[in-house]
Amino acid sequence: MTTDNPPVATRRRRRGVDRTPWGTYALLAVFMVIFLFPVYYLFVGSFESPSQTLDGLRAAIPSSLTLANYHSLSQTFFSSTITGSLRGFYTVSTLVSALVVAGGLIVNSLAGYALARMQFRGRRFLLLLVIVLVIIPFEAIAVPLYYMLNGLRNTLIVQALPFVGSAFSIYLFYTFFLNLPPQLEEAARIDGAGPWRTFVQIILPNAKPAFASVAILSFIQIWSSYLWPLMMTSQPNVYPLSIAIGNLIKQQSTPNYGEMFAFGVLLVVPMAVFFVVFQRWFIRSVASLGVKG
Amino acid sequence: MGLTMLIPGIVLIIVFMLIPFFFSIWLSMHVEIVGSTVPVRSVGWMFYRHLFSDPIFRGIFLKSLENNGIFALVVVPVQTGLAMFLAILVNRHGAFVKFCRTTFFLPVVFPMVLTSLIWKAILAPGPQGMLNAFLHAVTFGHFAPQYWLGNIHLALPSIMLLSIWQGTGFQMVIFLAGLQGIPHTHYEAALIDGAKKWHLFRDVTLPGLRNTTIFVVMVTTIFSLRVFDQIYLLTQGGPINATSSVMYLAVSQAYVANNVGQGAAISVVLCFVILLMSLIQRQVLRERVD
Amino acid sequence: MSEIVLRHVSKTYDNGYHAIHDVDLTVREGEFMVVVGPSGCGKSTLLRMVAGLESISDGEVLIGGHVVNDFTPGERDLAMVFQNYALYPHMTVEKNIAYSLKLRKFPKSEIDRRVREAAEILSLTEYLGQRPGRLSGGQRQRVAMGRAIVREPKAFLMDEPLSNLDAKLRVQMRSEILQIQRRVGVATLYVTHDQVEAMTMGDRVTVLRAGVLQQCDTAQVLYDRPVNVFVASFVGSPSMNLLHATLSDDATRLRVGTQTLDVAGAGPRPRLASYAGREVIVGIRPEDLTLEGPGEVLSGHVGHIEALGSELIVHFGMDARNYVVEDKGGSAEEAEELLEETALTEHVRNVARVGPRSAIATGESISFRVNMERAHFFDATTGESIW
Repeated sequence: MTTDNPPVATRRRRRGVDRTPWGTYALLAVFMVIFLFPVYYLFVGSFESPSQTLDGLRAAIPSSLTLANYHSLSQTFFSSTITGSLRGFYTVSTLVSALVVAGGLIVNSLAGYALARMQFRGRRFLLLLVIVLVIIPFEAIAVPLYYMLNGLRNTLIVQALPFVGSAFSIYLFYTFFLNLPPQLEEAARIDGAGPWRTFVQIILPNAKPAFASVAILSFIQIWSSYLWPLMMTSQPNVYPLSIAIGNLIKQQSTPNYGEMFAFGVLLVVPMAVFFVVFQRWFIRSVASLGVKG
Repeated sequence: MGLTMLIPGIVLIIVFMLIPFFFSIWLSMHVEIVGSTVPVRSVGWMFYRHLFSDPIFRGIFLKSLENNGIFALVVVPVQTGLAMFLAILVNRHGAFVKFCRTTFFLPVVFPMVLTSLIWKAILAPGPQGMLNAFLHAVTFGHFAPQYWLGNIHLALPSIMLLSIWQGTGFQMVIFLAGLQGIPHTHYEAALIDGAKKWHLFRDVTLPGLRNTTIFVVMVTTIFSLRVFDQIYLLTQGGPINATSSVMYLAVSQAYVANNVGQGAAISVVLCFVILLMSLIQRQVLRERVD
Repeated sequence: MSEIVLRHVSKTYDNGYHAIHDVDLTVREGEFMVVVGPSGCGKSTLLRMVAGLESISDGEVLIGGHVVNDFTPGERDLAMVFQNYALYPHMTVEKNIAYSLKLRKFPKSEIDRRVREAAEILSLTEYLGQRPGRLSGGQRQRVAMGRAIVREPKAFLMDEPLSNLDAKLRVQMRSEILQIQRRVGVATLYVTHDQVEAMTMGDRVTVLRAGVLQQCDTAQVLYDRPVNVFVASFVGSPSMNLLHATLSDDATRLRVGTQTLDVAGAGPRPRLASYAGREVIVGIRPEDLTLEGPGEVLSGHVGHIEALGSELIVHFGMDARNYVVEDKGGSAEEAEELLEETALTEHVRNVARVGPRSAIATGESISFRVNMERAHFFDATTGESIW
């Protein structure tokens, strides 16, 4: 990946042409504050009392912190049938995400591989189909899907089902496999490996970057998804986190931001942890998108 | 053999993407009510006629279309420009720069629900609202508090602001990859030819980022056409349709008003607009290659 | 018995392109057979058909006496070395070498023994634990060889295995590969575009052009007795000088441009008489043009001179028309060089190799002696050799 190249600026600096770019650093600092502030506000606000969270600039520098919001959240969301429970929301989000990410990795990598490597009638047509479907955003087919899958409302499976097979993931895998030298598979065939063994033992270990990219991008997408669970769930016991917090935002006439922020923190923490641990991969997977342009 | 590998993925995208796409065309020509036994009735192009000639509905649809247009016209250049600018700024080594890079990308992992929540608080009305308080402070009391999301002139720009905050990091990373794909030798050749910083940007960086830019512009444009979450959560299209979007209209018709046919008709229009724009992009890309 | 036999093998692609035409070829047990030809001549396709990586449209491939047309590559019991080595990047050297044995369910002790032995032969023992990415080009090449020999297969297939190495290493690896092949004693089919590699390595060399087998014989026979003008020009470096010429009515004299050569010294060539009064192509190797001694006189003007230290390569022009072999091949670099040369000096197309201290200079006229006994004659329309 291109991220391994040393940036141009450093190369020049090494030769002693450039001085420390204080101007650039100052600009970066300004933008950093702008970009970081909402995140900071979310975290700090979640530890503030309701009156503190909405208190002008003072909210940013609280005089005292409290766990009250988290406590009251766990009080509010205790019953899985009436209000839904925090544990329930987490379980739903986790199961749906796991199903989409794991199932998607399997079916989409296989389809991408077949398109890239196998010769069969209709290959070009299917490829064209995939490319066209990449362009169509989910929102544009949400309404007919809503009508089609209405019978499965309020189930976990329906929240995941439309996202497992993904034209976009197939296309990412397809381009990745195209760039893998075919001699690798030929060598495996001569060594006596069949197609499945070749895929599992030779291709998979060498396609880790593609798998990581697809896993991360689809995880971001499914963990954040709102429109589809909004249409497909009406019972608290199948609410994912996003719907539960969304309802809170919409329902409270006099918003208790502290409590909502606490909930927001709970929503973003799994993602943030993944992001911090796999930051390189996150950035790489997004960066890889531009290449196909 | 190849087929066994191919079938699961292809069947899934056909069933859950291609068929719904065609099904939406069928739906848009019929009256049907979700979960009811009322027989389906064919109505031809009625729902499409509604969009452009029904005296009440036409106004809302055209307003939503206009909102999407304004959203795209503002967000696409601002977000693309900002992302490119930030990418150039962070295209260097150093701990601080790396930290900034992480900061700019961080909102990408924030679901739109959460982004909406945070900004709802920041944009809260009255002097207690964070943004109001901040502007009040920096103008030494000359700024009157605004009802950001409730003001007919400020609601859409507010939605744009939080969308840009959430989306810029994503484009920045794509630009960063584009920047690092420009060979160093191009810069070195230009330097030897006597190019100054500005020339380097204009004659090496910009042309080198051409395809990346087209890609980013395209993605952002499509994104602008499909905005839904933040509108549904923050304004419900209000005040007085000032923030209604095409997608919001489609969902509120199909889901809230139980008018699936009308929602489908809007989805179909959206689909074709997006396909058309993608075709244009491909054309633009190809032109330069030839 | 492990011969590779190709019987009337043809390959036609779905789009109607004929890659291989009716090739008959036998690689005997223990023989090192090189297939050489310009790029795009079908030599790699032929190899891949033997390997089972390409289907066979017509004809039969036999390995060890069995028709293997319908066998998968794994069932054919061959080993192949690829141009880019195709080492599995995620496996250590040891696992790379052992992989095929594992698939064939060899007992662990046997696998270990064979891998150690192969590593020893190839001096790879200390690298067994490393991944291919950390090895040098030559070491990767050795791992690829190790992967091939560990199987003790019926035959080796090698697809331009040296073309990714630098010139010095290439020469060294040539002899290493030959030594290993001798040691293992397995029929080997080796594909290359480099005619020097072909001549130095092959027990026999097969020249392929546009999917058609031209000639299959030892390097010396190819050099001395090429069957046609293509083989004549492809084999040897610098390549043979080819000139349009006309044989006199009594078939004793040859008109080359304005000059005349006596063909009496050309030795017994019974078929030459039938070309009396007709146009032929005469071919003279650069080393058969000398500055003194016996032979017919051929004059020209000196274009430029390449001093190699041990000899001089003299490029010279003549008033005779040169014969140009289409699709002679060679590397792209050579082709470009050739083009440049022709553009600079329109008529300087002939080459002679003379002693390093010969007194010649660019622009001067020059007279060579031609050893007519070693001259070649070709049919002007079919390109076939006339003997």
